[in-house]
Amino acid sequence: MISPGTPAPNFTLGDHFGRRIELASFRGRKHVMLVFYPLDFTPT
Amino acid sequence: MIIDADGVIRYAASVTPAGERDMAALVAEAEAIAAAYEGELAADPAAPALAADARLFVKSRCGFSTAVLAAVDNLHLGDRLPIANVTEDPAAREELRRLTGKEQAPCLIAGGEALLESKAIIDRLVGCVAPC
Repeated sequence: MISPGTPAPNFTLGDHFGRRIELASFRGRKHVMLVFYPLDFTPT
Repeated sequence: MIIDADGVIRYAASVTPAGERDMAALVAEAEAIAAAYEGELAADPAAPALAADARLFVKSRCGFSTAVLAAVDNLHLGDRLPIANVTEDPAAREELRRLTGKEQAPCLIAGGEALLESKAIIDRLVGCVAPC
């Protein structure tokens, strides 16, 4: 279960330009906002 | 979900398909998390510049041109990349023919090279923005 105050598990996702983006690559560089849009222009 | 630069989850909330996200509240959360962060964030690496001669030619009612224009918009390159529509601008069409020997668009001229495939153009544009 994801909950505030806990370390985020690392993951890699493809962006809309085909690049593979790994969460760990932001460590020490940027904060990350992760937003899911279920049912909004995505397959159901 | 907001994950800080130490990899720690600072905010998590769900929205059902029937619900709406309060974007103002989300922005406020993000700003508060950024303000409270005590570490020092590394500067972004400099993005490679677009070639000085970079110019994009597109056509009206062309899906490939539309895809390239969407990439230009998404990458916020619109103010750095001159764009000419060869359907609407005969002079641009003539220039494209002079540069490439044909009227195929979309076409990105950059560094003296002509890219004529939309995917190749988008890949080149993506390379001109800072890595995430």
